[in-house]
Amino acid sequence: MIKVTNLFKAVPVGGETLEILRGISFEIKSGDSAAIVGVSGSGKSTLLGLLAGLDQASGGDVIIDGVSLAGLDEDSRAALRAEKVGFVFQSFQLLPALTALENVMLPLELAGANGAEQQATTFLNKVGLGERLAHYPATLSGGEQQRVAIARAFAAQPALLFADEPTGNLDGETAEKIIDLLFSLNASAGTTLILVTHDQRLAARCQRRFAMESGRLSEIS
Amino acid sequence: MNSWLLLRRDWRGGELGILLLAATLAVTVVVGMSAFVASLQATLTDESKRFLAADRVVVSGVSVSTAWRDRALDDALATTVTLAFPSMAVTAEDDFHLVSVKAVESGYPLRGDLLISDAPYGPISQADRVPSPGEIWLAPRLYALLGVSNGDPLWIGDAKLTVAGVVRREPDATSGTYGYGPRVLMNLADIDATGVVQPGSRVSWRLLLSGSADSLDRFSQWVTPQLEQGQRLLGTDDDQPRLGRTLERAEGFLLIAGSLGVVLAAAAIALSARRFATRHIDPVAIMKSLGATRSRISRLYGGSLMLVGAFGSALGCVLGWLVGYFFLTLFAEELGVTSPTVSIEPFVIGGVTALVCLGFFAWPPLTRLSAIPPLRVLRSDISLDGGHSSMDYLMGGCAVILLMWWYSGDLRLTFAVVMGLLVVVLAGGGFALLLLSGGRRIGSAAGSVWRFSLAGLQRRRRSSALQMVIFAIAIMLMLLLIMIRGALVEQWQAQLPPGTPNHYVLNIAPEEQAELTAFFDRYQITRQPQFPMTRGRVVTVDDAALAEYGTESEGPRQREANLTYAQHLPEDNVVTDGEWWDAGSQHFEVSLEEEFAERLGATIGSRLGLRIGAEEIEVVVTSIRQVDWQSLKPNFFVILPPAVLAPFPKTYFTSFFLPETDKGRLNDLVKMFPTFTVIELDIIVTEIRQIINRVGQAIEVVLGVILLAGALVLIAGVRASIDARVSESALLRAMGARKQLILGAIALEFSVLGALAGTMAVAGAELAAWGLQTHVLDLSYQPTFWLWPLGVIVGVLLIASLGLWSCRHVVSTPPLVVLREL
Repeated sequence: MIKVTNLFKAVPVGGETLEILRGISFEIKSGDSAAIVGVSGSGKSTLLGLLAGLDQASGGDVIIDGVSLAGLDEDSRAALRAEKVGFVFQSFQLLPALTALENVMLPLELAGANGAEQQATTFLNKVGLGERLAHYPATLSGGEQQRVAIARAFAAQPALLFADEPTGNLDGETAEKIIDLLFSLNASAGTTLILVTHDQRLAARCQRRFAMESGRLSEIS
Repeated sequence: MNSWLLLRRDWRGGELGILLLAATLAVTVVVGMSAFVASLQATLTDESKRFLAADRVVVSGVSVSTAWRDRALDDALATTVTLAFPSMAVTAEDDFHLVSVKAVESGYPLRGDLLISDAPYGPISQADRVPSPGEIWLAPRLYALLGVSNGDPLWIGDAKLTVAGVVRREPDATSGTYGYGPRVLMNLADIDATGVVQPGSRVSWRLLLSGSADSLDRFSQWVTPQLEQGQRLLGTDDDQPRLGRTLERAEGFLLIAGSLGVVLAAAAIALSARRFATRHIDPVAIMKSLGATRSRISRLYGGSLMLVGAFGSALGCVLGWLVGYFFLTLFAEELGVTSPTVSIEPFVIGGVTALVCLGFFAWPPLTRLSAIPPLRVLRSDISLDGGHSSMDYLMGGCAVILLMWWYSGDLRLTFAVVMGLLVVVLAGGGFALLLLSGGRRIGSAAGSVWRFSLAGLQRRRRSSALQMVIFAIAIMLMLLLIMIRGALVEQWQAQLPPGTPNHYVLNIAPEEQAELTAFFDRYQITRQPQFPMTRGRVVTVDDAALAEYGTESEGPRQREANLTYAQHLPEDNVVTDGEWWDAGSQHFEVSLEEEFAERLGATIGSRLGLRIGAEEIEVVVTSIRQVDWQSLKPNFFVILPPAVLAPFPKTYFTSFFLPETDKGRLNDLVKMFPTFTVIELDIIVTEIRQIINRVGQAIEVVLGVILLAGALVLIAGVRASIDARVSESALLRAMGARKQLILGAIALEFSVLGALAGTMAVAGAELAAWGLQTHVLDLSYQPTFWLWPLGVIVGVLLIASLGLWSCRHVVSTPPLVVLREL
């Protein structure tokens, strides 16, 4: 479960303070999926960064499974991410020097998990890349790279999965397949899914939808 | 996950390879240079030992104590004894000539080769024995002078010996009582039979020793306190002062080269570490977003760096040793190297260099990687904070300076190089920033190629300035070495120019002067002026009588010297204190050579009592001179005004040059002037030339190694900025820019960098060369004006061609492929 209370984010710009997020509050139950939509610059990615503990809020709090991020330093937030959080990014964020298998193994290895290779292989098989384990990202198509990223996100069996425009760099057909894959894995793993998107089809697949506008969030019924 | 795993994966990525290559290069250069220099120094020391025909020699005017020999044998040293003295060689027809006798026993020489021939001037071979008892070997020209052939009898004192061969060259021909006539070599066992060696005879006994350094040191410590008046222990340094400066300068050059190698290696590591860190910003951000903590990242990369350092050091040690060995093998004959010196020192220096370079240049950017905010995975505009990099470079610079100091052991040398580097870094860097700021304004008024390239340079102003400084440092260090090499070679050539006098003639009576000049003119022999010479002895200094005997350590003692007179200061002499007298001076004054004055404890104003023949005169020291003993021209410790010394009886002294092919003229000279004493220096001149040539060749090799290291730094420097240029160029091509425009812009960009770097490099090199030549190598400095345009042209050509070569794939592959790779 993730609970957000009166979240603020402001940054200094040229001697003035720019408010990016203005008092955001919401709560997503475990296993639910939620989409945050909004125009570019509305603060969606900033909100995602704060929810995942990648950045620190100027005010308010984010509580993940009862743990308040406000009271954690960077290393503690990293430890929390290693335990509970997974990511899928618009630009895939695979390490170019690692094979598909090694990219998926990475979070497991960082967490010191046993059987990283076996688990990573299982998830790559699940996303249909069992035959491409030894391939490097540069030799994979955009859709394949995103599938590796999804396998990586689910391999660590996170409680929370954040996705930033997961279909943003893909064509319509490939995007459709990726959406199906994301939601089927999410359903079987029981992960809480929060995604930021422009894609209405993707947003429509989520149980809850929020609109971001000028730093304020409102739920779309 | 551990550092080993990270290392393996990063290795595949290629970026680590660059860092490993730089670390390996650093260690290879340092180890290779150190190993080469160590072997070379050992070779040069061996070369010096060859002049002694041994590692150490105990010289005695009386005899060689049997206790010394016994002790030497106990210390596991090889020994042999020689005895040298002047004597008359007499033929069956009663023809005679003054000769320099050397009596030797089996085992001679312990170092170097004894060269002989069957017939005078016949084919030379290496002797595997010494003359047997009853045999005598002669210098070639004695055959003609005495009219003897092999098998003829020849008397030395009462001993009748048989002429049995020709002695062409002994390793220690230049030491001891050389020069009192041509050499004859006989067996020591025949000495008693000659009856010429009596108590009080003017002879020189030499106990030759060779063996391990420890044994030699042990023996030296034991024997030194036992040495009496007229006995001394010779090492390698004290017997060949003529070569001293040559070898010192050569060693200085090699140390400078090694230090520059350290700087270049550090620059290569700094460049590649910076690139490595830049290219790892995203991977680190991803790992942090996946839960890696700061300390985890630091541990991972720290461990990885340590592994790189260990691999690089190990590989560099092996490669460095191989490089050093390769050069030694390649130049074994020219350099006279017998075997490489195996010592741990080069490897320690290499290891410490790697540690310092990686610690100060690679670790800071890597450790800051851990500070990359994980938010970068969402916002690519967040970058590594570069604010600390100036401090890193400052710290690194200080570390490299300390490393150079440690490596060279010479503070002035280090200071001179650092001053040159500072000019490049501070003045050059500031100038570059200034120029690059104005570049865009110039560019906007120019054509499109200029606009693109100058805009690119201006946009990356900081990194362009840094890159320019790196290029300038590499070019500067290469130019510096070329300049110093030039100055050294020039100085050496000036030291012994063709036609350097290689024979001295003493005992020329005043009435023989004109006849000798006519002889020289007839055979067109190049000679020096004839100097008057009177034997004299310094007996008092400021009325204090000097001890007649005793060692130097007990205080000044009486000194005998050849006195001369001159109106004008001799060529090559420099007055270091006081003033040279006015021509026609009637005053009782004297000019002393500086070391001679020091030994006497005399300064300007001191009154010296001189005993000349039966008379004593008092003169006042009015000038102290520095004399170039390496010039091989006649030089004097004591010079007086003509008015003071001319009335005393005197002989004359001169020197002349006789080429090897005209050596026979010496026979004519000696036959014509039987009272002359001729000292043959041609062997010394040949030996010194040979060593200078070998050192010169070694310097060429070292220069080659440093140029290679410099070129690699330039490549690393070009590669450091390649990513940004590749992406911009790909974007331009995607937008329809023609190949020519892109290549033109790249070439121009690197040309501008090269031109500025070249200019800065020449300025820095001139400053450092001035410092090194005048304060370290004791050479004169001349600004090299031709270097300025050359530096700029080389900078432009080198950097532009490297830049174009590195960016070549940008225009040869489709833009989409390039963009996808980024």
